Amino acid sequence: MSNIWNGDASRRDFLKLAAAAGAAGTGALSLDAAAQAGQPINFYTWSAAVDLVKSHLTAFESSTGLKVNYNNAPWAQYRDTMVTKFVGKAPLDVMWVSDSWLPEWAEAGWIAPIDGFPSLMKYNADADTFCNESMRYKGKQYGLTYYTDYMAFFYDEEMLKKAGIKAPPTTWDELLQQSLKIKGAGLSEYPMMLSMARESWLIEFLSAMVFSNGGRFTDADGAAVMADPKRGAHQAMQWVVDAVNKHKIISPACVETGELNGLKAFGAGNHAFALLSRYRVRTLNDPKQSAIAGRVKQALMPMGPGGSHATVGWMRFHGMSTQAAADKTRAANAAKLIEWFGGKAGSQYQFQKMLFSDLGSGFGVKELFRDPEVQANYKKYSDIAMYEAQQKLARKKDVIAPWFGEWDEVNGTAWQTAVVGKSSVAAALKKSSEAWNDLRKS
Amino acid sequence: MTWCPEAADPAASGPVRKTLEMQDIKRPQRRWFVRPSSAYDQRSAMLFLAPMMLVLSVVAVFPVLYSFWISLHDLKLTRPHRVPFVWFDNYVKLFTDPLFWESVGRTASFTVMSVLAIMVIATLMSLLLNENFRGRRVLSAILLIPWAIPYVANGLMWKWIYDSGYGALNGLLMQMGLIDKYVVMLGDTAKTMPLITNAFVWKEVPLATILLLVTLKSIRADLYSAAKVDGANVLQRFVHITLPQLVPGFALVMIYESMMAIRHFDLFFILTEGGPADASHVVAWQVYVETFRKLAFGTGSALAYIMAVATFVLAYFVIRSTSRKL
Repeated sequence: MSNIWNGDASRRDFLKLAAAAGAAGTGALSLDAAAQAGQPINFYTWSAAVDLVKSHLTAFESSTGLKVNYNNAPWAQYRDTMVTKFVGKAPLDVMWVSDSWLPEWAEAGWIAPIDGFPSLMKYNADADTFCNESMRYKGKQYGLTYYTDYMAFFYDEEMLKKAGIKAPPTTWDELLQQSLKIKGAGLSEYPMMLSMARESWLIEFLSAMVFSNGGRFTDADGAAVMADPKRGAHQAMQWVVDAVNKHKIISPACVETGELNGLKAFGAGNHAFALLSRYRVRTLNDPKQSAIAGRVKQALMPMGPGGSHATVGWMRFHGMSTQAAADKTRAANAAKLIEWFGGKAGSQYQFQKMLFSDLGSGFGVKELFRDPEVQANYKKYSDIAMYEAQQKLARKKDVIAPWFGEWDEVNGTAWQTAVVGKSSVAAALKKSSEAWNDLRKS
Repeated sequence: MTWCPEAADPAASGPVRKTLEMQDIKRPQRRWFVRPSSAYDQRSAMLFLAPMMLVLSVVAVFPVLYSFWISLHDLKLTRPHRVPFVWFDNYVKLFTDPLFWESVGRTASFTVMSVLAIMVIATLMSLLLNENFRGRRVLSAILLIPWAIPYVANGLMWKWIYDSGYGALNGLLMQMGLIDKYVVMLGDTAKTMPLITNAFVWKEVPLATILLLVTLKSIRADLYSAAKVDGANVLQRFVHITLPQLVPGFALVMIYESMMAIRHFDLFFILTEGGPADASHVVAWQVYVETFRKLAFGTGSALAYIMAVATFVLAYFVIRSTSRKL
């Protein structure tokens, strides 16, 4: 028998060995794939972009050979569902997380930091600052983008023209003057649309108002400063209270108007100005869905005295469960899935781009602003330069803490109480501030 | 030993009875059920009942007892590693919370207003449907529609009706010339509770009407005939015959609707989420907020227990006060 190692093997022997090695290698690979496929990745999201997620998952499975168990729950029940799953130790590897729940879930030990995965952390360089900050808690990063957006200021260009207004307001005072002019001209009963119903959107509206008035709810140490009359929160709340009760440019029904109803009312042409999520501009300028299609423009958030054009931004991201992080194989697989969705799939940010193209959802990746396809797509219904300019001024919410949910109940009621005239601005903010400090102590 | 109807009924067997008494022979006892004749039968009965007892223990008894146990702990799902036993601290915390007492007051007023309205409207409706007139059956069928609508659908429908921007109620009032522009509905704290009460009453009236109609149908006709002979007019017959005979129906409606009103959650969730500015913050809403928003199962369970006890006490007193007339 010839010996291949000492050089006297025939070509046939070499081919035999090569075939055997190939077969063994293939077998080993398929065994590895089988081992990985035997433990599918458990992926849970809220019920948004379901078809898009499924198609992107199919591509992931064929690209990696990994299997994914995908499930979703409605947004309204998502937090409760996930908490129950965490407490019940249901199998979970990757899930969507809202920045509002990050401290709560991190403190409870349900989600794990991803700082140990350089393959994921490298994407931070491409993201806007507030996006990265929104995914960080106590110095650690807990995920990679699903989508991000911010509270935007919109106006009906045609209504402004009819009222003889040449440019949109740049300050809250200008907004008041223009609203009074529009109201006086009989063009709109309540020119400004603001949703103040008690729902998860409320804190986003309030934060945008406070930030643009140069204010904060809490300071850098996390202590409540919202009750300080020299800070912007007082100024912002007083503006809303006066707009509703004194100037009557905002409907008193704002306390029962949620974000979706506000969108419908603005889209029906009832108002000249509106605060809405930036991605709503696509709907507002769609003739099939809006009576004012083509007339809706975005301007920078008006600023208060001593304030800026700042607004609030929010982040929804892909997080990794602690149970997945504790197992090396599961963690590696989960990281692959997170990268596929939150980072690049192949050579580009495919999922974020698809979300943007199909649904108009925002992205936190700076390079997508330069993408010709993205630019051409957005140009159909809005101005991408304005989109980017406002995003640069977006800030993360400063009230995100483990007790956020409890405080949010008190704070929402406090603002509503002031708006309906059942308490003064100072008393409402004092109540909100005391609730924050009590919860912080406990 | 079996029961013999002929032997047990004195009216049906008079002569036989006499004969038996004279002969001092013991008559068979009247019995409506057969006592298990042996321990074997008793064991068999227990065996057949056991599965149901087990199911009830698992799905009813255990959760009730366990939720009481939870109410003695400071259990927050978001803080799973620390669940201290706090005795009755959750109850004390609630009883010293002004918001709790405000919501108790609001729940009480909602209950009284809605039960009163339901009883008055249902009484009138049942009196109407108790008469013979053309179209009575159609009217009865129409009356059942609100009852057939699920609570959530009912809530969504009223949300549309009450909307301050495009609601049907505003449209109707405008067309009738009662208002000159759309007015704030649920967002006006003075109107919030009356509007929710109205939606609740609309949903509950059909069942109450049916219950009272059944009671009305059971009133003996000879009572009215006798009253007519005695010269009683319509009002007197209503006050002295119909109303007293309706008391069992009233008691039933009052107990059932009070329990429904105290525990009602759906409309508060769909229409106002407890707002605006806590104007519709009732106890059932507080249970939801504590349990599912704050995920504080300890205080949530304590609140649920307080509600259950309040409902039980109310039912007890209503039954006790009306039992003499039942």
